[in-house]
Amino acid sequence: MAGKSFNPFEMAQTQFDKVADMLNLDNGVRGLLRNTLREYHFSIPVHMDDGSVKVFRGFRVQHNDARGPGKGGIRFHPQETIDTVRALATWMTWKCAVVDIPLGGSKGGVICDPHNLSQREQEQICRGWVRQLSKNVGPINDVPAPDVMTNAQHMLWMLDEFETIQGSKYPGFITGKPVGMGGSLGRTEATGYGLIYTLREALKVLKIDPKDTSASVQGFGNVAQYAIRLYNEFGGKVLCVSCWDQNDQTAYTYLRAKGIDLDELLGITDRFGGIDKDKAKNLGYERLAAEAWLEQDVNILMPCALENQVTGENVHKISKKVKILAEGANGPTTPEADKFLDEKGVYVLPDFLANAGGVTCSYFEQVQSNMNYFWTKEEVLTHLDEKMTSAYHAVNDLSKKRKLYMRDAAYVIAISRVAQACKDRGWI
Amino acid sequence: MVKKSKSMDKLFGSLLERAKELNCIYEVEEIIQLPDLNLKEILIKIGEVIPSAMQFPDICRVKISYQDEVILGNDFEDTNWYIGQDIKIENNPVGWIKIFYLEKQPKVNEGFFLKDEIRVLDTIAKRVGDYIMYQNLRSMFGDIDTEQNSKARKKESEWYIVLDLLKKTDPDVFVRISRKMLNNLVWKGIAEAEELLQQFLPLLRYGEQDIVAESNRPLQTRALDDSDQLSQKVFDIATRHMSDDDILNNIRKWIQQDKTSFLVRATSNINSSLTDISQAIRRYFQMAPGEGMELSPSARIGVRAGLIRRFLTDQLEYLVIAKNFIRVRDFYDILQHLIFPPGSHGKLGGKTAGVLLAYRILKNFKKQEKIFANVKVPKTWYISSDEMIQFMYYNNLEEMLEQKYKPIDEVRKEYPHLVQLFKNSHFSNEIVQGISMALDDFGNSPLIVRSSSVLEDRLGSAFSGKYKSLFLANQGTKLKNLEALLDAIAEVYASTLGPDPMQYRSERGLIDFHEEMGIMIQEVVGKQVGDYYFPSFAGVAFSNNEFRWSPRIKREDGLIRLVPGLGTRAVDRLSDDYPILVAAGQPGLRANVSMEDMVRYSPQKIDVLNFKTNAFETIEIKDLMKKHGNDYPGIENMVSLYERDHLKKPMPFQTDFTEEDTIFTFDGLINETPFIKEIDTILKTLQNTLAYPVDIEFASDGENFYLLQCRPQSYSKYDAPSPIPKELPEDQTIFTANRYISNGTVPDITHIVYVNPDQYSKIETINELKAIGRAISKLNQILPKRQFILMGPGRWGSRGDIKLGVNVTYSDINNTAVLIEIARKKGNYVPDLSFGTHFFQDLVEASIRYLPLYPDEKEIIFNEEFLIKSPNALFELLPAYSNLSDIIHVIEVPEAADGMVLRVLMNADLDMAVGILSPRSSILIDEDEQSVYTVTKRTDHWHWRSEMVEKMASQLDPQRFGVKSLYLIGSTQNTTAQAGSDIDLLVNFSGTRAQKNELLTWLDGWSLCLDEINFLRTGFKAGGLLDIHFVTEDELSDLKSLSEKLNLNIDGLRELPLTS
Repeated sequence: MAGKSFNPFEMAQTQFDKVADMLNLDNGVRGLLRNTLREYHFSIPVHMDDGSVKVFRGFRVQHNDARGPGKGGIRFHPQETIDTVRALATWMTWKCAVVDIPLGGSKGGVICDPHNLSQREQEQICRGWVRQLSKNVGPINDVPAPDVMTNAQHMLWMLDEFETIQGSKYPGFITGKPVGMGGSLGRTEATGYGLIYTLREALKVLKIDPKDTSASVQGFGNVAQYAIRLYNEFGGKVLCVSCWDQNDQTAYTYLRAKGIDLDELLGITDRFGGIDKDKAKNLGYERLAAEAWLEQDVNILMPCALENQVTGENVHKISKKVKILAEGANGPTTPEADKFLDEKGVYVLPDFLANAGGVTCSYFEQVQSNMNYFWTKEEVLTHLDEKMTSAYHAVNDLSKKRKLYMRDAAYVIAISRVAQACKDRGWI
Repeated sequence: MVKKSKSMDKLFGSLLERAKELNCIYEVEEIIQLPDLNLKEILIKIGEVIPSAMQFPDICRVKISYQDEVILGNDFEDTNWYIGQDIKIENNPVGWIKIFYLEKQPKVNEGFFLKDEIRVLDTIAKRVGDYIMYQNLRSMFGDIDTEQNSKARKKESEWYIVLDLLKKTDPDVFVRISRKMLNNLVWKGIAEAEELLQQFLPLLRYGEQDIVAESNRPLQTRALDDSDQLSQKVFDIATRHMSDDDILNNIRKWIQQDKTSFLVRATSNINSSLTDISQAIRRYFQMAPGEGMELSPSARIGVRAGLIRRFLTDQLEYLVIAKNFIRVRDFYDILQHLIFPPGSHGKLGGKTAGVLLAYRILKNFKKQEKIFANVKVPKTWYISSDEMIQFMYYNNLEEMLEQKYKPIDEVRKEYPHLVQLFKNSHFSNEIVQGISMALDDFGNSPLIVRSSSVLEDRLGSAFSGKYKSLFLANQGTKLKNLEALLDAIAEVYASTLGPDPMQYRSERGLIDFHEEMGIMIQEVVGKQVGDYYFPSFAGVAFSNNEFRWSPRIKREDGLIRLVPGLGTRAVDRLSDDYPILVAAGQPGLRANVSMEDMVRYSPQKIDVLNFKTNAFETIEIKDLMKKHGNDYPGIENMVSLYERDHLKKPMPFQTDFTEEDTIFTFDGLINETPFIKEIDTILKTLQNTLAYPVDIEFASDGENFYLLQCRPQSYSKYDAPSPIPKELPEDQTIFTANRYISNGTVPDITHIVYVNPDQYSKIETINELKAIGRAISKLNQILPKRQFILMGPGRWGSRGDIKLGVNVTYSDINNTAVLIEIARKKGNYVPDLSFGTHFFQDLVEASIRYLPLYPDEKEIIFNEEFLIKSPNALFELLPAYSNLSDIIHVIEVPEAADGMVLRVLMNADLDMAVGILSPRSSILIDEDEQSVYTVTKRTDHWHWRSEMVEKMASQLDPQRFGVKSLYLIGSTQNTTAQAGSDIDLLVNFSGTRAQKNELLTWLDGWSLCLDEINFLRTGFKAGGLLDIHFVTEDELSDLKSLSEKLNLNIDGLRELPLTS
């Protein structure tokens, strides 16, 4: 490719450098953490349905495993590049570290377009991937998971191949399995509940009774729905939610001043979190423009939909009453908006921490699989609460102590934990 | 309506009486068809059923006499109150049937019996006569066969016995057989025979004359005597030159042919009515219940062709194939279910023709392809096409036939009233009786009334969805059901006069064709589930896949659109839901691969008949499953169970479908049953046999596969393969493409949005990459809908990696006409394209074209200079995004190309597509097509425009508005205006500013009115039709520089006279 162009790995390195400067890390640590620990590049030959043979390129990148076995998804992408995989593996290292789970960061993938592959061919790719790597991955080295264009079915094929090669059962080899096939309960709730566990702790720290708060939620998918449920249980009142309307190809905000009724709304919501606008009207909800969720007089904003939703352009519209922005989505706030929020003293629960319930539950799946004993949903959620609570307090304490913006504090804590582990092991 | 009900009641009463008689005739028919009964047994049984047809069955007795037998019914008594009819064979009485009443009844008509009762007796006597004749004939052949078996004994006389028998019993046939033998001998080149033929000739002449002139009677007698001798000679010669077996076989064959000649005559005579033909066919099959008499191979094809011409179509392309597949028997079956007016010469229409032929073809290959044996067609009754005309005459609606010559705007306006008029009209009694019989036959099965017009489904004019099909739940009382059915038929008739089919016909030069509408009343395939009735699944399948989502899918892999419930949702493009798409030849390659897409693009709604409301309804699948999930026929093959990140196949017995989160994926059906293979084989077999790609509709009740329709793969106006000009003008060609092309023509593109692939790949920050997506989204909102195209690198909407293509969702591009992905070579490597997979199904349902470009391949034109160097309108349109102007180019095509627009022509047959600059809506392709219809249309467009602006000018007050003169220029002036053309006017203005404003307001009113007129005529809406240019006297004197100034091609102008 001619000239300079956008490179995701370079972006991840730049971000790391920024925090490394804050932490004043030495060159040895930087040298190690700026780069990946190990990379595997290999070929997967597949007999196609039409009798021809096609060779696919596969990758596994292990960025760092100082804190425990690597963890990260497997992507099927037609134009996968090694730099993308490297960047994502690096992210996984920090993500596991911020919630303090004993795992490192990995990522893998295969250059292929599942749109051009039958199920059988995809199965061959999955099995081929495991055959190439069976010595280098496993429940105690590196644990794959579903990612772009892969799902539970791909995981089961991979698990089966791995166990066949090993001659033993290793349900902890891979996560993202269906319940009953080594999957964990509580996965559906994990991200939304995780968000509210951190929010609950933040309110405690800010000395606000959840019963006295109101919130506005962007999105009405899985994360938002469970977040609202738990938040209601703690006594909070959600005044509005926004969601995508497939027919009108636009988003709407649905507002009801006395608060929304979650179960009532769920009754008129499709599988994708789209609320039936006519039925909502009949139930007394006011339909407002897409961005209206952001402008309400509430105490808490929860963006749980897409990235780049709170921007330099609209951040000024946020009500003065807003005390907390809890990021359920990935990257909902742009850097310009961050700056404004910081200045105005809005307390931000960064995505990195606040939506880590998913990866934590994945870890629990692995734990349960390894001991081949599976918890009840309540037990899973109790453990999740513990993990999220302590992770939150660690970040909050650091933020207070070092007067760091919450987002920066989360990165600092993650990177320093990894650096510490490398040092403790005497690597650097 | 009250009046209508009353007359219906009366009619209904008489219908019940008629039903008794018809039942009796049917029973007689059934008795005759019973195997293993001898003649006496049959006559006894017939005697038993006859009283049921009489007014007073209890006191009715029957006596039948045949040869030496006399058959008396139970408790028989002779009385004086009776009617009788002879049983005749070849017009000779051989017996009789008499019906007696035990008590004297009041006199009706002339005697004691109703006219209808006498008619029933006549029919039965005639039927018995035919039957006996057939039996005799059969036993005669039986004798011959037996004799043949004991050949050794009486070899010489075998055929002679037959001949002798014939001479005595049927001298006419005897003469004809002799003549045929002579012909046969002459063909064989036997000299003696030729001599004999000379002597035979006079006989023939007399024979002919005999038919017309009675005076020849004596001659005939003599000739016959002669013929006796001649016959003797003929067979003498025959014995010398042919074996006994050959002679016998020939005689046998000819006797049979002779017995069936009436059928050949009836079918080949264009004057015979449907009644005549139907009688002939009935007689033919009555003589030999079951398989029918044997026809010679050539006669069989002849009869078939005749029947096809009369019942189905005279299109030669159809006939040449159909005559080899459709059997005489099929027409016999159809006739049992055909309703037609007296003296009818109507047809069954295109839809019937299509499905019948397809069905016969599949059955023909059932030995090779066992699966075809299971293909069924739902029970159907037919109404012949001329009933529509009769219906219009009957109700004095015949002037409606002229509707087609009215301007389309009038048609559009009048249509709703016309529908009501039809629905409030009446059918003649015969037809109501026929339809009532059909309803008895259907019972309470739900029905669909389908149009089957004569024009429909012919090659080249598929009329897809132009005429109505109506569903009826058919769950009320007989009377209610009958009314609903008649109402539906009237509505379907009315749909021939709707604006859409009129326009379609006019565009294809079919407006003068005499359109008639046959009707198919068909049982709806399905099962009852709760209050609902619907098929387990239904869909449409196409031989050619015009929407390929992967380069591995070939065009000939076909396409299946599958839906749960009634197929209506598969036939139409949906705006709010999605069918499941499968390439029949490559079922493994699915359009949706990620879990999210599989779920999102699965059907959410289902079309059903609701028995409770007696209506057709669309309901949420979610609600249906909650109530009746476990009763849904074949459910385990229809759905997958959705668990977070996992779709799994349900296990029978273990799954409670009312509880589970079910997604209609049809995974079981696709992967674990031979269904897809079957459809693929059906499509290929039909395409190979018919020699054109087909489009079929099907449905399944969970057990059987039903074929509902088969027609040439339909092309809507813009889905047809576009002709590609042979010589591409180099300076006007923007791009060409030659891989993975689908069909279509996208005219009049005014804007191109080009995302420069080289510049895009150089972007360094993710925010800038995202900004490109936002800019595209904004452009999508402001550019004219479906008049711009998007061209950009790699994979539009790629979710994983923004580098690979512009980061957009479907709503960011949903107004484009074409989505073009450009794969530029990088070193030795050409990146894969997405084929629009990220929103593939949205593109399909919205008819947005997708086109992949490979600019660096050989023989490909890619005019990058035009795209990059043309003025970039991004600055004006989106000033906030001006910083992206190196990357995004928005080209206003008419500005950049002297008023021309871009046309994208795509032809999958040639695997070729081009984007060329051309004058607006001038169709410079396919001259044949143009000569057929566009010329007349084109004349039409400029003509009314011209007339209207003249009218407008005549009302323009020059003093009031300060107008010196007014000129017409452009397409209306030079007579090339098309449906979307505006009207260009030059105003020589010399008034004040206030006058100018007033003038503009005045003209604006006209502009909107003209636009409305154009909309009514063509369906085009532009928001205003006038394009006004103010000019000075000086400018008018130099047209050339005026052309440049206005950026218009002024090749002449016409002054419009203003009001004086």
